[in-house]
Amino acid sequence: MGNLQLVKTGIGTCIQDTGRFGYTAYGVPVSGALDMRSYLWVNHLLQNKETDAALEISQPGLSLHFDSPTLICLAGANAAVQLNGKATSSYCVLEIRKNDQLQIGAIHQGAILYLGIKNGFQSEKIMNSRSWYPGITASSYLKKDDRISYFPHEEESVYTASKIRLDFNWMEEPVIEAYPGPEWGLLDKQNKSLIETGKFTVSSLKNRMAIQLMELLPNSIPELATAPVFPGTVQLTSGGKLLVLLKDAQVTGGYPRILQLDEKSIALISQKRPKDQLVFKLKKL
Amino acid sequence: MTPKLTQISPLLFEFEWISEVSDELLQHQLTFKDRLQKEFTTELAELRMGFKTLALVLSTPLEARIIKQWLRSNSTQGSLNPLPSKIWQIPVCYSPETGRDLQALAKSKNMEQDELISLHSQGQYRLHFYGFLPGFMYLNGLPNRLYTARKSVPDRVVPAGSVAIGASQTGIYPSVSPGGWHLIGQTPVPLFDPGHIPPVFASAGERIEFTPITIQQFTRLQRHPHPPLCK
Repeated sequence: MGNLQLVKTGIGTCIQDTGRFGYTAYGVPVSGALDMRSYLWVNHLLQNKETDAALEISQPGLSLHFDSPTLICLAGANAAVQLNGKATSSYCVLEIRKNDQLQIGAIHQGAILYLGIKNGFQSEKIMNSRSWYPGITASSYLKKDDRISYFPHEEESVYTASKIRLDFNWMEEPVIEAYPGPEWGLLDKQNKSLIETGKFTVSSLKNRMAIQLMELLPNSIPELATAPVFPGTVQLTSGGKLLVLLKDAQVTGGYPRILQLDEKSIALISQKRPKDQLVFKLKKL
Repeated sequence: MTPKLTQISPLLFEFEWISEVSDELLQHQLTFKDRLQKEFTTELAELRMGFKTLALVLSTPLEARIIKQWLRSNSTQGSLNPLPSKIWQIPVCYSPETGRDLQALAKSKNMEQDELISLHSQGQYRLHFYGFLPGFMYLNGLPNRLYTARKSVPDRVVPAGSVAIGASQTGIYPSVSPGGWHLIGQTPVPLFDPGHIPPVFASAGERIEFTPITIQQFTRLQRHPHPPLCK
């Protein structure tokens, strides 16, 4: 077995796959990659299975050491990446040799980077998923000197020579498409129009559970009898804050659910950074 | 009791019952859930419960019309499934050492601590569903006299196993977490085991009782944990 070792920490790096399905009845969040588009892309280029676990990186300043040969692939945020001290602009498949060191520097565009590896990372599988979540898996974030195993793989990649240009511009799109949520109809005219026409700003309160938006709405809807919530549900708190729930969100909640984002919109909003602005565009069924 | 159907997204629907939270409503929800599972086996990814709601997550899109038709034709016919009869006995050490808000809560209600403890431990609570944290049970049945508004500033750390009261509900924190409920005691029983399928002992519809134990019994059970008894 090969090992990837974390030489230098970047906070907020974890293992994710497509998620943990079938356990919400016990209160277990779905988890899984926040930006499914980029996560699936790395697995696609590596000719992996869709469910092969990848590293989800949300902070710069990460340094990784590989003790065995393999192929890796990066997608998502546009970051300064160095392989053995040399800048690599390559966002296609990279060949890794024994004792190679990869550094993730400043993130220029987007917020979350995926590092996929040939055949996926082989961390513990709990309830049919390798996605890290506190209380379910032993770790919730990668710490210095942690090791994650992978199958060594020696192959010349068919993709390395032909440089695939990865498009980063999709992450700049400010329009987040959303369906009206179950309590949309309870909003008054003023709130509806604020949501449909207003600009919203991502606050610094952003993690795998939720993104809090900065603008406040004059909320008048009371709390509900606890009801199901999903990744992509937008809640309006009693204090008038908008909370966009992400993959590690609770499975139920008591705040009115005013919007529902689909997988594509969850990927887009996950790539937003604090202070980024966005608008909601209501979609009809 | 025919629920209202709302389509939220191409793969997400929700049924809502306009009714008070009760055993009867839960019986309707669980029967309904069972019938949906049998009817839409191939399209269903998940059914998720709330107190008055049931969400339907699909793996492949289904026209709203088909679900509506099913709702009209056969959802309300036939007899309801009985609620399960199992009652789980959860040992709880009610004391200021294991429930830091016990004294203040009793005082705010002009009760002796013992009165509060017996009110809380005499009742039976119905498990409606799990949510909030892995293994957190949403229970119905708290006596009105124990209803207490949640803390305005939530505690940063609530110990695992804490038994607490928040608004019209009572519950047990299965793991360490922030929380805004009033802590009145603690159970030594592990509530969630990720290494075991299912990771919890009780199912929706079953009942829970809280059995008072001493601090000595609590310490002993913490050292040698075992699952709760059931009758």
